[in-house]
Amino acid sequence: MGDQQTFYEAMREHGITRRSFLKFCSLTAAGLGMGPEFAGKIAHALETKPRTPVIWLHGLECTCCSESFIRSGHPLAADVILSMISLDYDDTLMAAAGYQAEEILEQTVQKYDGNFILACEGNPPLNEDGMYCIQGGKPYIEKLRYMASHCKAIIAWGSCASWGCVQAARPNPTRATPIHKVIHDKPIVKVPGCPPIAEVMTGVITYMVAFGELPELDRQGRPKMFYSQRLHDKCYRRPHFDAGQFVERFDDEGARKGYCLYKVGCKGPTTHNACSTVEWNGGLSWPVKSGHGCLGCAEDNFWDRGSFYSAVTNLGVTGGVEATADDIGEVLAGAAAIGVAAHAAASVVSHMKDGSKGDSSHD
Amino acid sequence: MNSTAAAPHDPASREPVYVFEVPVRVWHWLHTFSFLALAVSGYLIANPLPSIGGEASDHFLMGNIRLVHFIAAYVFAIGFAVRIYWALVGNRYARELFILPIWRGDWWCGLLHEIRFYLFLSKDTPVSLGHNPLAQVAMFLFNVLGTLFMIGTGFALYGQALGIGSWADRLFGWIIPLIGSEALVRNWHIMGMWLMLVFVIIHIYMAVRADIMGRTSSVSTIIGGWRLFRNGRR
Amino acid sequence: MTKQVTPNGFTLDDSGQRVVVDPICRIEGHLRIEVNLDENNVIRNAVSTGAMWRGLEVILKGRDPRDAWAFTERICGVCTGVHALTSVRAVEDALGIDIPANANSIRNLMLLAQHTQDHLVHFYHLHALDWVDVVSALKADPRATSELQRSISNWPKSSPGYFRDVQARLKRFVESGQLGPFSNAYWGSAAYRLPPEANLMAVTHYLEALDFQREIVKIHTIFGGRNPHPNWVVGGVPCSIDVNGDGSINMEWLNLVSSIIDQSITFIDQVYIPDLKAIASFYKDWTYGGGLSGKNLLSYGEYPDHPNDWSQANMLQPGGAILDGDLSKVHEVDVRDPEQVQEFVAHSWYSYPDEKQGLHPWDGITEPHFELGPNFKGTKTNIEQIDEGAKYSFIKAPRWRGHAMEVGPLARYVVAYARGHEEIRDQVDGLLHDLGLPLPAIFSTLGRTAARGLECSFTAHKMRYVFDQLMANLKAGDTATANMDKWEPDTWPAQTRGVGHVEAPRGALGHWIHIKDGKLENYQAVVPTTWNASPRDPAGNIGAYEAALLGTPMVDAEQPVEILRTIHSFDPCLACSTH
Ligand code: HEM
Ligand code: HEM
Ligand code: NFV
Ligand code: SF4
Ligand code: SF4
Ligand code: F3S
Ligand SMILES: [Mg+2]
Repeated sequence: MGDQQTFYEAMREHGITRRSFLKFCSLTAAGLGMGPEFAGKIAHALETKPRTPVIWLHGLECTCCSESFIRSGHPLAADVILSMISLDYDDTLMAAAGYQAEEILEQTVQKYDGNFILACEGNPPLNEDGMYCIQGGKPYIEKLRYMASHCKAIIAWGSCASWGCVQAARPNPTRATPIHKVIHDKPIVKVPGCPPIAEVMTGVITYMVAFGELPELDRQGRPKMFYSQRLHDKCYRRPHFDAGQFVERFDDEGARKGYCLYKVGCKGPTTHNACSTVEWNGGLSWPVKSGHGCLGCAEDNFWDRGSFYSAVTNLGVTGGVEATADDIGEVLAGAAAIGVAAHAAASVVSHMKDGSKGDSSHD
Repeated sequence: MNSTAAAPHDPASREPVYVFEVPVRVWHWLHTFSFLALAVSGYLIANPLPSIGGEASDHFLMGNIRLVHFIAAYVFAIGFAVRIYWALVGNRYARELFILPIWRGDWWCGLLHEIRFYLFLSKDTPVSLGHNPLAQVAMFLFNVLGTLFMIGTGFALYGQALGIGSWADRLFGWIIPLIGSEALVRNWHIMGMWLMLVFVIIHIYMAVRADIMGRTSSVSTIIGGWRLFRNGRR
Repeated sequence: MTKQVTPNGFTLDDSGQRVVVDPICRIEGHLRIEVNLDENNVIRNAVSTGAMWRGLEVILKGRDPRDAWAFTERICGVCTGVHALTSVRAVEDALGIDIPANANSIRNLMLLAQHTQDHLVHFYHLHALDWVDVVSALKADPRATSELQRSISNWPKSSPGYFRDVQARLKRFVESGQLGPFSNAYWGSAAYRLPPEANLMAVTHYLEALDFQREIVKIHTIFGGRNPHPNWVVGGVPCSIDVNGDGSINMEWLNLVSSIIDQSITFIDQVYIPDLKAIASFYKDWTYGGGLSGKNLLSYGEYPDHPNDWSQANMLQPGGAILDGDLSKVHEVDVRDPEQVQEFVAHSWYSYPDEKQGLHPWDGITEPHFELGPNFKGTKTNIEQIDEGAKYSFIKAPRWRGHAMEVGPLARYVVAYARGHEEIRDQVDGLLHDLGLPLPAIFSTLGRTAARGLECSFTAHKMRYVFDQLMANLKAGDTATANMDKWEPDTWPAQTRGVGHVEAPRGALGHWIHIKDGKLENYQAVVPTTWNASPRDPAGNIGAYEAALLGTPMVDAEQPVEILRTIHSFDPCLACSTH
């Protein structure tokens, strides 16, 4: 990779001064939630490392992860694409098409075997021999497996790649399958969200390019720096939750006052994402701030948890769509109470029938 | 056939037996009241009371309900830990809760008999010193496993609030990916409450029923510790 | 087949060389195009294959209608929000819910913002490289570029130094040897006609537009909490308004919306429109790609001025249908009429009980059935050549009264023009006058691209109108944003049907639903790209993509620039089309 520029060289050549380069590094460090001492490390890494090739594949998805990515304000998506990484393949943005586009994949494998990042948006369907997602006449899963076998590490963008997302919702007609269930021998960083926040996406890329390694991951493979907190724990409406002040229905008095959205279904208490801290579109707002509860879009299979508008949702076992734990529980407890009453009555009757004979038991 | 557990003491002798030692009795009532506190507060967490007005800083209703839940949760969990310890050092009846003697033929006979009895298929009253086999099964499934499940899922959720790397997360956090997602854990936590509640309803009924109709004491046993035997007729 | 004339009047001839372009890049989703060329490299047969399917219509069955918007929104992240809006409209239609005036204005604002951003991104990032040669920009004289820029607009970023900097950045990028997304493309092809200065100007605006589009979508962030995929709610909008408070939308946020609108109008009118004209002026004689546009066009009409009134007279952009290129008559469209909108699957990878018949979406069926025809080449998992005589696409074939229709900005513009919509007439006539072209020139690839640009300006300006309307309503004391009277399922009828429609950036979009016992019994979406990219119907009518490619000469059969131009002019969205 000797003829490649480092990120720093690229930035210098794009007319960026050393001062603003260092400023970029410290902003990046801050964006990653790290202290100023890390700014130096990032600077060092970017000064000495060549631009990392990135192959960005699309499976079954809605492309909103790409759309989110280009909303990034710091760093700007254009700077990431032109200066930080080398986005050598991305069918949504690339100029080439047809076989000229597919040739790039082969060239990448030859030139950068084991040294490129595979960014996966969407997921492969497995039903119908994979032919619910056809690329170049072949099933997407083949392309994914091939490129994965030669890459250095995988980024699973969004809830599609991380968990399966909407096309994997019941009954998952195409058997859409998340990346980690088909690729087992490569490090994978999941960046869930439907879509993920732009600055979270570019933050993860920056980290990987700067440090040449995956960020620290939690138990479920998500970067701790963005996913270790539940929205609920950093939500600015939390004082209203603790006080017991809820929006009871949309546009009521409580809604205008900014009360907690728990009763209209907010899934903030079970959702790990950076919305309540980083916020969306340059830190402007996030779903809860605008007045709609969180859907839980960064969580596994949030589509099949029942209503987006009720606090208690379903168990994920009841084949029929929407029985909640409360629904089932109330029935069970009711049945138990009725059963007990009936048994008591039967006992009395049976006791009276043969008054002579006693019975006993204990529990 | 009127005996189930192989007892050192012949129930026919009608002598009172010291069954539940003090720690078991104290635990039983701590367990009862912490469970009820957990169920009520938990229900109110899942289905909050009507919204109240005024300044958020003047109120802490939901916060207090959660506080009750968490205090009761600690009592519930620590109490259960102590109860497990007592199973190791206490009398033979202290162990019954945790061990289903499924390897014993007469235990199965007793279980069958008990089921027939409660279905009014048999009039022969079973008598046990400790728990009867049916009660043992119910207690083991709904109470022992139920309690462990509620503690596990509860502290797993609690660990998410405390934060990644907190003690509760390190000890119980693995339960979340095991069940699937946090939302699912929460829903099963609620389901667990309902299942335990079903047990409690039946349990209390059986206890009171046995006290009224049975040949042995029941409620007074879990209060005073001694199993008393009545004449067999009343 | 070799040679055949379709019922809708196109001649197909598959005897010549077959060229396959798969993937078509710079679109949303997965599309395959195959064409046959005659000995002069002119396209004589075209086949459009939608190459992905997710099954959203199947997944929606049995769910809560109030949740459906979130599912359908995920049909597409590029035209984010439009399916959600269609969905809540369908549910409101089924349940008879009237939305408040503010909710109507806010929804209009969000949809207008979506059009503005989507069109802008399409032009610069998905389409421009079909006309603009990035590498040629290296040869430009920045001084001449500056003069060019100043001659066409007042946009302040126009100094020679500015263009020199961009050029230097580009130069080093190219020299680095890592061309990234610009690798392996068709730079230097004779198909590119812009002088280097115009190329440099366009590349510069590629970067500026990438930066600016982030601003437009903040309107979604304010009212819907984020973008992509803002939030919606059945009965209105999820945000509340309290201009004097600090708990919901207040003056500060409204001011931000207002400022974004102003910036958008400036950017579109000073950058996009002048660039469009400048580029078009070099390609005036590239007149290909008309296809269906000179014949059959469809638009449902959009932006209800007053809430809950779906008459065309109430639409800021009135709709209707045009048949056989007869602009003197605009047909009224009734989406409820079982004879009008119908979908066919004879050539689609689905099955119907009777595939000769079309089904109105209220009776629609989505039953996947992947099967390659007897004449395909390759294997099931390695298709070398598709057999268009059989089933060949995951896209269904929607028809209006049996006709294949083109939808999209051009269709909307021609329909509104035919209806005599003054603003739109002025825009169209003005552009044609500036370019010195007659009206029929707009029935082409470039006409489609131009209509999208004009519409982008229209939507940016309409945001100002709608915003003022919202403020006037708030001033009059009405702050309601949602009608929750029929929120609870126990207020719903046991069975009901509804339909919602929206003019999405790519054209006419409709969702047809059936609610039974509080749950979705059936959900059918007929989407803009379903119309345009549709395969053949049982009668043999070809769809808009296939029609538009016919007759186009390729400079080099190995470099599909011309195919990309025409296909991109529709702004394909395959995730949408098959859903
Ligand atoms: C039998 C015992 C228990 C019962 C019946 C019970 C019941 C419940 C219920 C019904 C909920 C509401 C679920 C929701 O919507 O969030 C809940 C929440 C919760 N419980 Fe329990 N629980 C029990 C034990 C525990 C234990 C031992 C812990 C340990 C700390 C615990 C921790 C929690 C937590 C953290 C929540 C979520 C509270 C919130 O997010 O505000 N629970 N519990
Ligand atoms: C007013 C409420 C209650 C009454 C009157 C009651 C009564 C009793 C009685 C009479 C026994 C002894 C049974 C025997 O003779 O074998 C017992 C044991 C037991 N009860 Fe309860 N109970 C109550 C509530 C609860 C609750 C709420 C729980 C659990 C959540 C519970 C769990 C147990 C357990 C686990 C044992 C077995 C004790 C051991 O072997 O260590 N009880 N209860
Ligand atoms: N076709 C389409 Fe869409 C649009 N515009 C939706 O309805 O793009 Ni994704
Ligand atoms: S994760 Fe959600 S938002 Fe992103 S591509 Fe998938 S469906 Fe779209
Ligand atoms: S709005 Fe949602 S995240 Fe915020 S406090 Fe309420 S429940 Fe928690
Ligand atoms: S819905 Fe998604 S965007 Fe954030 S607030 Fe909830 S995780
Ligand atoms: Mg459809």
